[in-house]
Amino acid sequence: MSEKRRIVAVIPAYNEETRVAHVITSAMEYVDTVIVVADGSKDGTPAVAEKAGALVIQHVDNCGAGAATMTGIEAARAMGADIVITLDADGQHDPHDIPAMLQPVLDGKADIVFANRFGVRNRIPFIRRVFNGIGNILTFAVTGKWVSDSQCGFKVFGPRAVREIDIRMSRYEFCTEIVRESVQRHWRMKEIPTKVIYSEYTMAKGQSFASGVKTALKILLRSFLR
Amino acid sequence: MHLTAYQIIAPLVSFVAIVYAWNLVFKQKKTVWEAILWTAFWSAIAYIAIEPDSITYLTMVTGIKNRENAVLVTFLGILFFIVFYLVIRLEELEQRQTRLIRKIALQKKGLSVEEEDDKR
Repeated sequence: MSEKRRIVAVIPAYNEETRVAHVITSAMEYVDTVIVVADGSKDGTPAVAEKAGALVIQHVDNCGAGAATMTGIEAARAMGADIVITLDADGQHDPHDIPAMLQPVLDGKADIVFANRFGVRNRIPFIRRVFNGIGNILTFAVTGKWVSDSQCGFKVFGPRAVREIDIRMSRYEFCTEIVRESVQRHWRMKEIPTKVIYSEYTMAKGQSFASGVKTALKILLRSFLR
Repeated sequence: MHLTAYQIIAPLVSFVAIVYAWNLVFKQKKTVWEAILWTAFWSAIAYIAIEPDSITYLTMVTGIKNRENAVLVTFLGILFFIVFYLVIRLEELEQRQTRLIRKIALQKKGLSVEEEDDKR
């Protein structure tokens, strides 16, 4: 690293008081600031996050992961961030993967880096693999770009992506929208294999089949009407 | 070959829609991929209008053989479009509410919101 760059981690969180503190403290080893966007949480997420040392921004109502992520990125932008890392609050991503994720951006080889949970040996439940596969196919159908793990929340945005990103989709569709933004704005993309820790807790927090279908319909509808 | 008014209007509308889509690509509001999908859809509409016999298989499968059926299907199409339009309107309202919530959250922390948000 020849010049000091301001690196900010953005963690969208909804009712994650039991998990978020560990994610914050682990992420802090690698970034300058951690921003937690408490997305209408009804539990003690904001207080726990603040105590762990994060800057907490609160949505008065639950708007969805996409909206919370964009709020965090806008806050990071206002704070002068050069690089933004997004990761889930439930602890499924290992913050120790941050250096590897950052490297392509620091080397000037990528504008956006996608984590790939399928790139290394990970114990991923079969149903998750199926859902992610469907998400990838759908993303490819609407963007024309194949991303091995398009629905993963663990990403790194380089300086150009931080400046240009504009997520409009509020809920889980935002992952596909980010791929679309990458294609539209001709960002250089990289994929890095990362660890993932699935537990009963993270499984319960994920998308249900019904919301997955709804997400798919929204993506198709939007891509056609845009 | 005798052409009906529909067979002239439908390809013209399709042509305008395709030109519009590619215009959006040049303005960087639509991706090339989306424009290709859009072109395929409107080309199919134009082709069916010019060559109605091409959907003989479809009439066989759906059973739409006479005018009464066609009228029914047309109205179903119109109803579908109205529902579609309402869904889009609801989405827009939801987006406005989300933008407001996000704006309040950032203002409370003294972090400025980009001017672009106000224009949208």
